[in-house]
Amino acid sequence: MKLKIKYKEEKKTVQHSDFDAVGKNMNRVDGWEKITAAARYTDDLEFGPALLYAAAVESPYAFAKIKKIDISAALKIDGVLKVVTGKDFPHKFGLYMKDRYVFADDTVRFVGEQVAAVVAKTPEAALKGAAAVKVDYQELEPVLDPVKALDKKSPLVHENLKDYPHVPWFFPQAGTNIAHWRKTRKGDWEKGFKQADQILEDTYFVPRYAHCAIEPHSVIGLYDESGRLTMWTSSQSPFTQRNVFVGALEPFGIKHKDIRVISTYIGGGFGGKAGVSMEILGAALAVSFKGRPIKLLWNRAQEFYNTYQRQGVVTKIKMGATKEGKITALEYTLYWDAGAYVEYGANVVNAAGLSASGPYRIDNLKIDSMCIYTNLPPGGPYRGFGYSEFLFGLESHMDRMAEKLKIDPVKFRKINAISEGDTLPYGAHMNPTGIQEAISKVEKEIKWGVKEKSKDKNKEIGKSLVCFWKSPAMPPNASSSAFIKFNEDGSLNILVSGMEIGQGLLTVMAQIASEVLKVPVSKIRVETPDTDRNPYEWQTVGSHVTWGCGNAVKRAALDAREKIFDLVQRVYCIDKSDLYLESESVRCKTKPNFRLKFSDFVINGIQAEDHTFKGGPIMGVGMFMPEFASAIGDPETGQGGHPNVHYTTGAAGLVLEIDKESGKMKIKKAVLAVDCGKAINPDLVKGQIVGGMLQGFATVLYEDMRFDEKGRLINPNFSDYKIPTAKDMPEKVVPIIVETPQPDGPYGARGVGEHTMIPCAPLVANAVYDALKVRIKSMPVTKEKVALALFSK
Amino acid sequence: MPITAEFEYEKVKTWRDALALKSAKGSAAKILAGGTDLIVLLRENHSSAQMLIDLKGLPGISGISFKNGVLTIGANVTFSDLIKSQTVKKYFPALWEASQTVASVGVRNRATVAGNICSAVPCADSAGPLLVYDAEINLLSENESRKVPIEKWFTGPKKTAMEPKEILHSIELKYPSSKTACAYLKLSRYEGEDLAQASFTVTLDCDKNYKIAFGSLAPTPRRAYKTEKFLKGKKINEETLNEACKILETEISPISDLRSSKEYRIHMAKVMLKRALEKAVSRYYKGIPHYGEGMIE
Repeated sequence: MKLKIKYKEEKKTVQHSDFDAVGKNMNRVDGWEKITAAARYTDDLEFGPALLYAAAVESPYAFAKIKKIDISAALKIDGVLKVVTGKDFPHKFGLYMKDRYVFADDTVRFVGEQVAAVVAKTPEAALKGAAAVKVDYQELEPVLDPVKALDKKSPLVHENLKDYPHVPWFFPQAGTNIAHWRKTRKGDWEKGFKQADQILEDTYFVPRYAHCAIEPHSVIGLYDESGRLTMWTSSQSPFTQRNVFVGALEPFGIKHKDIRVISTYIGGGFGGKAGVSMEILGAALAVSFKGRPIKLLWNRAQEFYNTYQRQGVVTKIKMGATKEGKITALEYTLYWDAGAYVEYGANVVNAAGLSASGPYRIDNLKIDSMCIYTNLPPGGPYRGFGYSEFLFGLESHMDRMAEKLKIDPVKFRKINAISEGDTLPYGAHMNPTGIQEAISKVEKEIKWGVKEKSKDKNKEIGKSLVCFWKSPAMPPNASSSAFIKFNEDGSLNILVSGMEIGQGLLTVMAQIASEVLKVPVSKIRVETPDTDRNPYEWQTVGSHVTWGCGNAVKRAALDAREKIFDLVQRVYCIDKSDLYLESESVRCKTKPNFRLKFSDFVINGIQAEDHTFKGGPIMGVGMFMPEFASAIGDPETGQGGHPNVHYTTGAAGLVLEIDKESGKMKIKKAVLAVDCGKAINPDLVKGQIVGGMLQGFATVLYEDMRFDEKGRLINPNFSDYKIPTAKDMPEKVVPIIVETPQPDGPYGARGVGEHTMIPCAPLVANAVYDALKVRIKSMPVTKEKVALALFSK
Repeated sequence: MPITAEFEYEKVKTWRDALALKSAKGSAAKILAGGTDLIVLLRENHSSAQMLIDLKGLPGISGISFKNGVLTIGANVTFSDLIKSQTVKKYFPALWEASQTVASVGVRNRATVAGNICSAVPCADSAGPLLVYDAEINLLSENESRKVPIEKWFTGPKKTAMEPKEILHSIELKYPSSKTACAYLKLSRYEGEDLAQASFTVTLDCDKNYKIAFGSLAPTPRRAYKTEKFLKGKKINEETLNEACKILETEISPISDLRSSKEYRIHMAKVMLKRALEKAVSRYYKGIPHYGEGMIE
């Protein structure tokens, strides 16, 4: 293995020398559990011999009417107990738009869609049963191309689109395949193009991608005799799942209080385990079969074709700029291949439609982001949430425009980079940003402007630098909450429902509480959520939990601290403004000898002079909702709302060596500087940078989802859908942390998780051009494409 | 994911039993050695069998022997066994080099060379080396034994010269009579385990006899006899290589598939032929790069 991760110590823009826990490289609080294998994942849970197994009956067609389902042969198979079909579940469900059924109703809309499910005593019997269910279909002509889907003659994937309930910020076009059309209009783009000295127009293509988490989706549901539904899920979103389950199971009279979702550790999420995908089957099957736990475990192929996929997109971009390097206008149209159901994916389209200007100040802007139904698997959230997709075209275009203008591409970016207070595409104003600092640091690290020569005559070296930004995409009232409770020895339990999905959330929450309450992280336990016990969190998506959940934890800690101060004031008659916490004790500014250890009072109270006890168990409660956010703007322009809470910005650079004959690429150095506001745990931020870049490079160099002419995914496996191995690592990855504090973030922190992968595709495309002067406009940028482009030049 | 298909399983202890069963069942009985292809196919319902005959309990086919210049590889010999063998490394380095590119360590610990050529996919990594070393395959059936030269073995994609009643016993390779150098080159989509987009195996000796085999560039792994004939006795230089590439192009017939386009395969076939020959020549005269070093750099 050649991976070298260079940890550069960065000068902090803000010095907080008085922090005990924040900004420190603490070990992960879940580390021991994971390395000793004490950590349990959903499939590890034991349910004894009562456990039943389920298997899905799947559509072999991309688009067909279901004429008849015959379950009689399946029921005769030894071990098969029940076959469940759509007739028992007439309610639609969905996160942002209700366009899905638990089982296909009378129409199947993608290959692999669940038509029925079999419950059996063993996994083998369930699979045999599923194979024995006979379904008669009438095949229809599938819609497989998002651009052709706009044709008036195209079949409609959803005839009843006009009747589908959806959030108020979606604009479905009844009678078409357009499920949502986000229009963003700012300034006068026609005038902007007139002012331009150069105009460049082109089309870029981004295919679909799979998350490829190590752990497949799994769910166990138990509907007990009392009407209590408990769901164990491998999920990023336990509370959102509970809410969606309630909606889908409405005919059964199941209320929120009756459903308990328990989320174990998960083996990778990347957005794929957000919302509700196959888990709906677990809930429906449990409700259909009272009293026995039922397990449904997706195999790797199902993981590819029946969870969420990252949506494909065709993007048309027109950019105008002056010879001085100022972008005068941008027109950006995105045709999203959103798949058969868009209940979650339409919000990806929305997010891109609000932000496709990239981190640039563009006064004249026209963005059309169209969510288009196709008969391919449902699109949905994937790390980057639409930003990687539009950034490929945009940042490729930035380099090409700079070349046309004969301006250095880095300088071109510096000229146009957004700064604090600039007007955003939808009219609100930009938060503090360290993008210029990020650009400069990356520029220096990759020695921009210094041409490097390979030792091998067959190889050329290219460099690139691109910028990125991203905001959490969430409902304006997405909220977080936290409980903190003290134990007898002064240790803490923090209860949150933000999910540990590998990013280190539990550790960061412990660090934030530790900072306020002066309890060492080693004495704090934070665990994965159980919706009965833990307080509400919307979802762990959008790189917002350090910020949102972190604010809630900080407030909970402050609440607990306030309760401590109130108690001490009451018992000792010390003015609470003189009190402070230090080393697990309460101290007083005016009485240096005063020291009250937490372990002396946080459960059993403080004994007063009259021998009575005051106080009791100390607990803190905190909640956070971005009260300034609003998703409501003018449907024709997008102006007027404040849909995004903040943008995290940064820059990334690449040094790429390319074999001129085979096209094979080797990353000599990858650099990424991200302005995370405040790195609560710098090692974890660096982990996000390294991991994110590797995932990003995978999408640009290797991964490639292929469908045949019938809409069937032909590579739902790692034999032919390639994700990199240790042997494919870059030679060097340099993570750089920039810290321009976010005013409303905990200790100035803002989101960072997704951002680290989104610049990777244009980085590679631009470095290939820099080295060889060939421009690849469709992802992935494989060695095959590079070699053939060069060969045919 | 469990296998749902039903079949009988026989772990035979004697060749007599094995051959009797195979004779009785014919193609309805599948042979299980490493199982790295068969089990996957059964699990995904891409193959069916009434019976699996497990060879792992049979005597005499689990080892590698080298006697009188003949290397014998038993049907149960895995790729990991080959990689560990100093004899293979010393005397048949192309086979040793190719073995290291087969899938991953876990798969190589189970997958057998015999299974690799019985599966007979166009990208089989062991095929090229066996072709250039003129291997012979020993087949047994209830009433006879016969040898099939490797060049007659592959009869089509996933098809071999083996009869339904036969079981592959072993593979024999003769040590070349004079000093040779060789190279195995595999083009894959990334550095991790992959099925070859294209592969080349070349050897050369002191008389400038060249042997060239390719994989994934035709319905079966093949020798490039015309290219070999052209190169015979010639020095490897830019001129001969360019001419050789032209001839090679008439000998390959690649298709476009999930793993590569036809155009890239044709382009890379020429690049790979040149690099494989240059590498073998360098090894012959300078001893570098060492065997096992560097694939498509």
